[in-house]
Amino acid sequence: MSTSIYQGGSHGLMHEEPLLFEHAHEAPESINLPGVAGILSSELKTFARKTEPGIPGLSEPEAVRHFVRLSQWNHNIETGFYPLGSCTMKYNPRVNEQVVRLPGLAHIHPDQPESTVQGALALLYELQEWLGEITGFPYCTLQPAAGAQGEWTGLMMIRAALDARGDSHRTKVLVPDSAHGTNPASAALCGMTTVEIKSTPEGRVDLDELKAHLDGDVAALMMTNPNTTGMFESDIAEVCRLVHEAGGFVYGDGANLNALVGKAKPGDMGIDCLHINVHKSFSTPHGGGGPGGGPVVVSESLAPFMPTPRIEKNESGYAIIASDSTSIGSVLGSIGQVGVLLRAAAYIAAFGKDHMHLIAEDAVLNANYILARLKNAYDVPFKGICKHECLLTDEIQNKHGVKTIDIAKRLIDLGFHPMTVYFPLIVHGAMLIEPTESESKETIDAFCDAMLEIAEACEKGETEELHNAPVLPIRSRLDETAAARKPVLTWQD
Amino acid sequence: MRFLPHTDADRTAMLETIGVSDINKLFADIPAEFHIEAGSLNLPDALSEAAIVRKFTRASEQNRHAGNHSYFLGGGTYHHFIPAVVDYVISRGEFLTAYTPYQPEISQGTLQVLFEYQTMASRLLDMDISNASMYDAATAVAEAALMAKRATRRNRTVIAGSVNPRYRAVARNYLLHLEGETVELTSNGFTTDIEAIVAAITPETASVIVQYPDFYGTVYDLADIRKKCDETGTLMVVAFSDATAFGLIKAPGSFGADIVVGSGQSLGIPMGFGGPHLGIFTCTQKLLRQMPGRVCGLTQDANGKRGFVLTLSTREQHIRREKATSNICSNQGLMCTAAATYMTLMGDAGLKRVAEHSAAALKMLVGGLPSGVTAAGGAHYNETILSFAGQSERDNFLKRAEAANIFAGIPLEKFDTEIEPKHLLIATTEMLEADDVTRYLELLGGAL
Repeated sequence: MSTSIYQGGSHGLMHEEPLLFEHAHEAPESINLPGVAGILSSELKTFARKTEPGIPGLSEPEAVRHFVRLSQWNHNIETGFYPLGSCTMKYNPRVNEQVVRLPGLAHIHPDQPESTVQGALALLYELQEWLGEITGFPYCTLQPAAGAQGEWTGLMMIRAALDARGDSHRTKVLVPDSAHGTNPASAALCGMTTVEIKSTPEGRVDLDELKAHLDGDVAALMMTNPNTTGMFESDIAEVCRLVHEAGGFVYGDGANLNALVGKAKPGDMGIDCLHINVHKSFSTPHGGGGPGGGPVVVSESLAPFMPTPRIEKNESGYAIIASDSTSIGSVLGSIGQVGVLLRAAAYIAAFGKDHMHLIAEDAVLNANYILARLKNAYDVPFKGICKHECLLTDEIQNKHGVKTIDIAKRLIDLGFHPMTVYFPLIVHGAMLIEPTESESKETIDAFCDAMLEIAEACEKGETEELHNAPVLPIRSRLDETAAARKPVLTWQD
Repeated sequence: MRFLPHTDADRTAMLETIGVSDINKLFADIPAEFHIEAGSLNLPDALSEAAIVRKFTRASEQNRHAGNHSYFLGGGTYHHFIPAVVDYVISRGEFLTAYTPYQPEISQGTLQVLFEYQTMASRLLDMDISNASMYDAATAVAEAALMAKRATRRNRTVIAGSVNPRYRAVARNYLLHLEGETVELTSNGFTTDIEAIVAAITPETASVIVQYPDFYGTVYDLADIRKKCDETGTLMVVAFSDATAFGLIKAPGSFGADIVVGSGQSLGIPMGFGGPHLGIFTCTQKLLRQMPGRVCGLTQDANGKRGFVLTLSTREQHIRREKATSNICSNQGLMCTAAATYMTLMGDAGLKRVAEHSAAALKMLVGGLPSGVTAAGGAHYNETILSFAGQSERDNFLKRAEAANIFAGIPLEKFDTEIEPKHLLIATTEMLEADDVTRYLELLGGAL
C-alpha cells in the first residue's frame, strides 16, 4: 500500500456558477469606448438590425467573477499532471506568454508594409530555420494551423509532386493501423484512398505487409515514429527505401517528435516531409483545445510545392512571398498562427543547442520509469523499451470487472488527469501514458503510486470506488449518450 | 535547465529502477547511424529568461504597431478595442493550459464557456447552432463548402467574386482534389454582382458562397440569392470578416442563410500578424449532423446536475477516420474563450456601439474625401475601396501617411494581382477618433 499523499482532486472552494444567460438582471452599460460619433448613412440604415442579438452584458466585476469561477472547474497543466499519451502535455513557460504580448508582436496587421514588421519576420524566419535543423529538413512552412492541417498540406504537396512528374494516378495512401485518425481523414480530404497496414505482434509496421501493398498506385506512406504504441519503428530506413523504390513518398506524422528532439532527426531517416505539432513538442499552450500550430518541414523533392505566402530572407531583409508558380497555394488565410509560433520560438531559444537533447532524454526516461514501475501490475502489450510514452491495457483488471474507463475516472479522484484511453485502437482497453520531460520524479512517483493503488484495489476486489468515480469533481460522470441523442448546443431562455 | 525538474541524482535513480546504466540505452532502438551528438545541433546557445525577453523586445521594437499608430487596415483583420479582462481571462492557466475537454468531469470550465460561446455566436449571426470553432475564416469557408456537398449530395460549388480572395484561395484548395466542380465568379466593380450569382446557381449546385458585408465592404440584400437557392435546393453560405457588423446590421441568418462562417478576430482577439484568430461556424439545426469540428452539448451528470460534454463525436476523425466530416482535430478553444468574454463584457448595447463608431468613422472619412479620390458606392459598414487617379498618387499618400504613423489602407493588388494598382482597401473601427480621420483627410488632400 502506498503512502503518498496525492495532490488533491478539484474539491475545496468550488462555486456553482450559472450560465451567463441566467444572471438575472439587466447589466448597466459598462464599456467606455473611444470612437467617432455620428448617425448612420441612409444607405446603411436600411440594413439596420431589427431585433437585438440577445447577448447579455455583464458589468466588469460580474464578468470577471463568472469566468474565473468557471476557470476553477478545469484541470490544467498548472495545477496537475496530465499524462495524456500522444498529446505531450508539458509545462507552458510563462515568459512565452509575456513576450508574445509585446505590442510590436501582438498588435500588428498582417498586411502592413513589410518594412514595418521586420522584427516579427526575423523571428519567424529564424523559427523556420530552427525547426528545419531540429528535424533535419532543408525547408519549412509555418502556415498550417495544426497537425491535422499539416498532414493535409503535406499530402497536397505530395499530390502536386506526383502530378508534376505525370503520376497523377497514384492516390493510394498507406496508413498503419496504429495511426491517428487524422491520417486517413486528411488523405480523404486530399481525394486519396487509404489502405491500412497491419502491425506486427511487436507493435511495429510489418515489412512484408507493407511490401504487399507497394504497387504503382501508391502515393505515400504516412508514418508516426515513434508510433502510437510508444515504440520506435527501427526499420524506418528500410521502410523509406521500399516506399521510395516503389515511387511513393513518406509522410512523417510528427505528433510524437518529443521522443527524438535533440537525439535524432527524422529527415536523416528518409522521410520526405513531416508536420510538427508545436503545441506538443515546443510547449505552446493547448488552450482547452487550441489554437495549435502545425509547421511542415520538407525535403528538396517537395520544396517547389510549399504553400504560400512564405517568409524568405533577401539582401534587404525579410520578405513575404505571396505566390509562385509551383506552390500548392494557401492552406490558411494568413501566414500561420503567429502567436503560437512565436511561443515555440521562445521555447527553443530557452533550450538552445546546449539542452535540446534533454527534452527527449527526460521525456523518454520518465516514460520508461513509469513502465518499469507499473509493468508487473498492468498488462504491457508490447515488450521492450518505450520512447516518450508507454502503453498499458486493462487486461489484468478486467478479470475483476474493471475497465480502462474506471481506472481513468478513479485517477481523477486521486488528483490526476487520466491518460489517453482506448487509443491506439490496435489493443483492447488501451491506456497510453506520456509524462513529458517537465514532470518531477515526485509527481511521477505519486502517479505510479496511484496506479498501483488502483491495481491493488482490483486484486482485493474493492472495486466499488472505481465504478463510481469520479466523486470529487464538481460533476460526476456525465451522460454522453443523452447529449448525443438529443443535442442541445445553444441556450434557449 | 529551468524547465526540467530532474537533478542528476534523480536521473540516476530512475535509470536504476528501469535497470539500465545509461540514458542512451533507452535510445538503442534508434539505429546508431541516426544518433546525433548532444550539443551538435546548429542552434544558438541556450538563452536565459532575461535574454529571451531582450531578444523578443528588440524584435518587437523593430515593428510599428497599433499601440501608437492609426490603423485603417482591414481585409479580414481589424484593430478593435480589447478590454483588459479578455486577456486576463485567457491568460489564466486554467483556460490557457488545459487540454481538449475529453474528460468532462474536470473540464466543465472550458465546456461551459464553449456552450456560452456557441450560444452567443448563434445569436449574433441569427443562426440556430454553432460549433466550437474552426482555425480561421478561410478554412471555415472551405469547410462550409465541403459540408454543403455532403448535405446535398451534390458536387457543384459556386463562389462569388466578392468573397475575400484569401477565403476563396483556401476553399479552392480544399475542394481541389475532391469530386465536383468549383465555379469562381469574377467581381464586376467593387461590389457584389447579385445577378451573376443568381444566374450561376443551378439545380446541381450544392452551395453558393457569398460574403456579407462583401470583401469591398458593401452591405446588400441577400433576398434574390435566397430565392434562387430555394428554387434549386442550394445551400446559401454566407461568409463575413468582421463580426462586429452584426451588432448593428441585419445578420446573415435573417436572410435565411443555411451556413454562416467567418472571422471572430474582431471579438477581443489581437491582430497578431495574422493569428491565432477565430473561425466561426454556424448553421441551421437541420444541418447539425453534417457539421465539421467539435461541438459542446448540454447534458446531466450521474447525480442529475447540469453539465456539458463534447458531443456528436461520431462525426469526427478519431472515430470515423477516413469517413469523418472533417480531418480537423483541434479548434481555437482559447480564442472562443476570448470571444465569449468579449461579448459578455459588451452585451447587445456595447456591440452596437462598437459597430456604430466603426460605421461612423467610415462615413466621416468618405464624406470628407477630396476630389481626385473616390469611394465605392452603396451601403458600407466599415470597409470600402478608395480609388486614385493612378498608382503614384496613391503611393505618395501611403508614404506620407506612414511617415505620420498612419497605416492608411491596403493596396488592393495585394489581394488581386490582376487589378490596376491604384486602389486602397480601407477599414475603420472604434479605435479611430475624429482626429485620426481628420488627419487622414488632411494628408490625403495634401498628397494629391
